[in-house]
Amino acid sequence: MSLTDRQFIRYSRHLLMDDIGQQGQEKLLNAHVLIVGLGGLGCPVSLYLTAAGIGHISICDGDTVDVSNLQRQVLYQTEDCGHLKVDCAKAVLSGLNPELDITTYPEMISTQTLSQDYSIVIDCTDNLAARHMLNEYCQRQGIGFVTGSAIGWEGQLIGFDFARHSKLCLNCIIDRDSAEPLTNCANAGVVGPVLGTIGSLQATMAMRMLLGFFDSHGEVLRYDGKDARWLNLRSLAKSQCAVCSGQKL
Amino acid sequence: MIKLLFFGRLGDFATGLSTSIDAVDGLTPAAVRDGLAAGHPQLVYELSQPQVLISLNQMIVDWDHPIVDGAELAFLPPVTGG
Repeated sequence: MSLTDRQFIRYSRHLLMDDIGQQGQEKLLNAHVLIVGLGGLGCPVSLYLTAAGIGHISICDGDTVDVSNLQRQVLYQTEDCGHLKVDCAKAVLSGLNPELDITTYPEMISTQTLSQDYSIVIDCTDNLAARHMLNEYCQRQGIGFVTGSAIGWEGQLIGFDFARHSKLCLNCIIDRDSAEPLTNCANAGVVGPVLGTIGSLQATMAMRMLLGFFDSHGEVLRYDGKDARWLNLRSLAKSQCAVCSGQKL
Repeated sequence: MIKLLFFGRLGDFATGLSTSIDAVDGLTPAAVRDGLAAGHPQLVYELSQPQVLISLNQMIVDWDHPIVDGAELAFLPPVTGG
């Protein structure tokens, strides 16, 4: 695959970089990324990856736009309220970069959605069950998995490069049998730019994986926007993990 | 001494709490949490929520992990929204 004249201009700021260049841009154009959830995280993730030239982006969300989303979900306009998020998102993303393939799934994530051939899956959901479904799928398929979350002033980001590491997965860090915490964005609120920060980092992490730079498998990145504080935490594979240990438990 | 860090909104419930405790034999994150019960019930309630993460010297550990003298123990509240 070679770049067209228009692509040389569109992606010129990538092509100027020695560690991306034409070869890296072609990797991005050949990638297929699934973004699950088009809320406060999925909006910046999908915008940045569309702009970056990910050749095929699949977006999955069964919700419609609500006026209460507009404080933080930057893809949508007031007149979008009541319409499916995937349809509104596709219109914006296609306008931003018409050359890309964008597939929409107007549904909540299911094993059927996961039957396609993805390079990376990005979790922008808001519940543990979906996160663990995606974690198990990516670990089994040996593909990259980027999971993000946010609440209040805080955000969390974890990346798993299952193409290179089969051990250490989300279940080693957060038990899939955990209950959902009582505190969530619907009852405690969330700051829009914190979602933008974590979403931008998810997009960056996805690009690092696709370009071959990612080397922090299972590292937990925590952000406290109120105190402008970051923590980088290492984690270890659990020998008895029901997902990645290889043991039948 | 063990340095304590209550990250993010947990810090709102730890006002007035010392940022360090003495190291004793057999100390675990669960024992540190339980030791806070008398003076900081709301903090202990938050620490008892599902999906609270604990790190010891920037490594994620379980509630029963032994704590050695000089360590930094951090508690991180669950972050689940998207």
